[in-house]
Amino acid sequence: MRVTKGAQIVAGTALLALAVAACGGGGSSSGTGSSSSAAGNAGAVRVEIAEPQHDLIPGNTTETSGAEVLNALFVGLVDYDADKKPYNRVAESIESTDSTTWTIKLKDGYKWHNGEPVTAQNFVDSWNFTANGANAQEGNYFFGSIKGYDDLNPGEGKTPTATTLSGLKVVDDKTFTVELKNPFSGFPTMLGYTAFYPLPKAAFESEGKLKADFGGNPIGNGPFKISKPWKRGTDQTISLVRDDNFKEGKAKVDAVDFKIYTDLSTAFNDLRAGNLDIMDQLPPEGIATAKNEFGDRYIEQPSSGIGYIGFPTKNGADYAKNADVRKAISMAIDRKTITETVFSGTRVPADDFISPVVSGYRQGACGEACTYDPAKAKALFDQAGGAKMGTIEIGYNADGGHKEWIEAVANNLRTNLGVEVTPKPVEKFAAILEDLGNKKWSGAFRMAWIMDYPSPENYLRPQFGSGGSSNYSGFASKEFDDLVTQGDAAKTLDEGIKFYQQADDLVLKEMPYIPVYFYQTNGAYSQHVKNVKIDPFERIDLFNVEKA
Amino acid sequence: MSNDTLPSTAPVQPAKPVKESKPASLWSDAWYDLRRNPVFIIGGAMLVLLIAISAFPGLFDTVGVDAKTCSLAQARKGITSEHWFGTDNLGCDVYSRVIWGARVSIIVGFVSAIVTAIIGGALGLLGGFYGRWVDVLLSRIAEIFFAVPSILGALLILAVIGRDNAGIGTVVLALSLLAWPMILRIMRAAVITAKAQDYVVAARALGAGPGRIMIRHILPNAVAPVIVVSTINLGAFIAAEAALSFLGVGIQSPQISWGLMIADARNRFLEAPLPLLFPALFLSLTILSVVMLGDAVRDALDPKLR
Repeated sequence: MRVTKGAQIVAGTALLALAVAACGGGGSSSGTGSSSSAAGNAGAVRVEIAEPQHDLIPGNTTETSGAEVLNALFVGLVDYDADKKPYNRVAESIESTDSTTWTIKLKDGYKWHNGEPVTAQNFVDSWNFTANGANAQEGNYFFGSIKGYDDLNPGEGKTPTATTLSGLKVVDDKTFTVELKNPFSGFPTMLGYTAFYPLPKAAFESEGKLKADFGGNPIGNGPFKISKPWKRGTDQTISLVRDDNFKEGKAKVDAVDFKIYTDLSTAFNDLRAGNLDIMDQLPPEGIATAKNEFGDRYIEQPSSGIGYIGFPTKNGADYAKNADVRKAISMAIDRKTITETVFSGTRVPADDFISPVVSGYRQGACGEACTYDPAKAKALFDQAGGAKMGTIEIGYNADGGHKEWIEAVANNLRTNLGVEVTPKPVEKFAAILEDLGNKKWSGAFRMAWIMDYPSPENYLRPQFGSGGSSNYSGFASKEFDDLVTQGDAAKTLDEGIKFYQQADDLVLKEMPYIPVYFYQTNGAYSQHVKNVKIDPFERIDLFNVEKA
Repeated sequence: MSNDTLPSTAPVQPAKPVKESKPASLWSDAWYDLRRNPVFIIGGAMLVLLIAISAFPGLFDTVGVDAKTCSLAQARKGITSEHWFGTDNLGCDVYSRVIWGARVSIIVGFVSAIVTAIIGGALGLLGGFYGRWVDVLLSRIAEIFFAVPSILGALLILAVIGRDNAGIGTVVLALSLLAWPMILRIMRAAVITAKAQDYVVAARALGAGPGRIMIRHILPNAVAPVIVVSTINLGAFIAAEAALSFLGVGIQSPQISWGLMIADARNRFLEAPLPLLFPALFLSLTILSVVMLGDAVRDALDPKLR
């Protein structure tokens, strides 16, 4: 359900800015220059973040800055390797015979920073807390597939009839079971996400009630622990030190300081000047030079985001309702030049609804429809009667740095299809979504999606399933729904993929959205550190970062 | 511009070498001054050129501003024989866009200046002439508008009404709505001065009605400062249009405005400075020419201020 409004800075590079955009750049002060380095630990690795949207509570963190910090403080049941495949971390095993009831066993030896062992109860407590609608946690919807979720979230105005998820059962200290509403073979892939971290007993004041200061002074189970309480809105540095009792061994660096910036350009200047060590996103204007300047220390890798042009296919204008016109529009967009020129190569042309970062992506799946061919596009457009369907409107949120590429797309359409195009800036992305929800938006609109967990399902059902949580196009197909359900029910994720891909093909044929580009991560690091890796959630693997 | 019927008691008449035997008037004197003022010649010539450009942009541009002329592959290129001012972020010709952008600036500037002069002038004339409650009412209303900082007020107006129908019309409306009180004040003061003159008393004694006195006797003698201020305002309006468009509430794409061009180019200024520099240069030159013109007109019409 992570629809993204776009980078809050300009032209937006990485997802960090995208996801964090919801907080509207809530940081109070900028200018965390050299002064804040004095506040942190001496000799710490300094990492750029934006101000986390909320306090450091796993269940309440769905943006990437907070997740970055929590990733150093906590470890989850699973983590993801270089191929985006989950591997067990706190979990010893995650097994199911029917993809519905999952038995999760924990490894021995993981300890909270206060010395207590990590138990199955810790996970269940944490998940119950987040899944409870009354706690208003951002990560609440992640638990929607677990049995009993509806009792905790009965909807607006109704009182929950339970305080715990009926699908969660503690078997013993190291074992618990999860019962899902429907079979879902991809369930283990979700479990590495921030919202699924456990919470220690010490986090709770009473049952189901979190201590007020926990978010500023969290107790985790990860390789680093907080070195002094952090006050959101005041402190511009979050300081962590290594936890020497961490089960997997000692992290290679003693301490990490997360420095909060409100402006990527300022951070980038600090990185150049040696006042900052790691940035997992670069300002657009810096990317062209960063490649040469940082050499081996420049990171470029695919990330999970996809940028689209969407259409209200049920309630929209004539051109939005016509699949051939949508396909013609798609063929008239010069993705390659747009990604190279407007995005300075920080995006790659999209050719599938499933991102390359998850298994199930097929290069060129979109085929002809995503291939730039002005002549064919024009022929198809005219044949479908597109010329008589009036001016094409493309709505976008003006605060996300989207103007340039939308204008470029508009120029493509004007030139190649000979149609009038009006780009329509709207103050906030939420306004477009609201109008779409109320069926008041008739034109095309920009859209983007970042995965919640590495499964092709996450790119399909929420956006294109009938009644999907983020289905803004109105696309509905029984066949599609059935295929996704079949994919979920498959014994393993790999077996499910072929169903997801068939569902993907249906969407590609109808094109309720036009995939335009895949996002990329552009990061860089200073000479003081080495072995910097960024995972598909834009999180830095700080456990393995070394001093150079 | 000369007005033979103007009474010889017209105000401010410094001694001037007058060649013609015709009796000297404020207007003929002013014109005589202006013709010999290099500032006026230069400013006027520049403005005439800009008016010509905005009236017939097709004669001046090279490749046009149709979307078909933009090629993203050619984005941010430097000066070439085809693209005299380089190309912008979307590969459109900067020179042609600068030429077409002149139209918006000139139209917004002139229309706003004329509208405010007419509204402010007319109300100022009425208020100054009739005095009493008419004056009080008009002055208080004017003060309400006067109290609103103009750019802030225009932002507000455009944010409210301009969301769906942004364009030249709404920008003119927003600017005029906030600028007329200034003209009203100037007109009112000039009218009050003129009203007390002997020739007005004489006209009234001869039985002239209020309408005739206002139009024939007071207006010609009170309009000079309004013309001076309106000319100077012209430059301010052009700058304000660019500022509003830059802030995203004025002219909207696909219309072309210098302010909009500057806004679009600023993010990549270091990489490609031309798309920002040229509209900025033309904006500056336009405002400069108008300000020069305004100075010269003021000098000619109001020699005491020199």
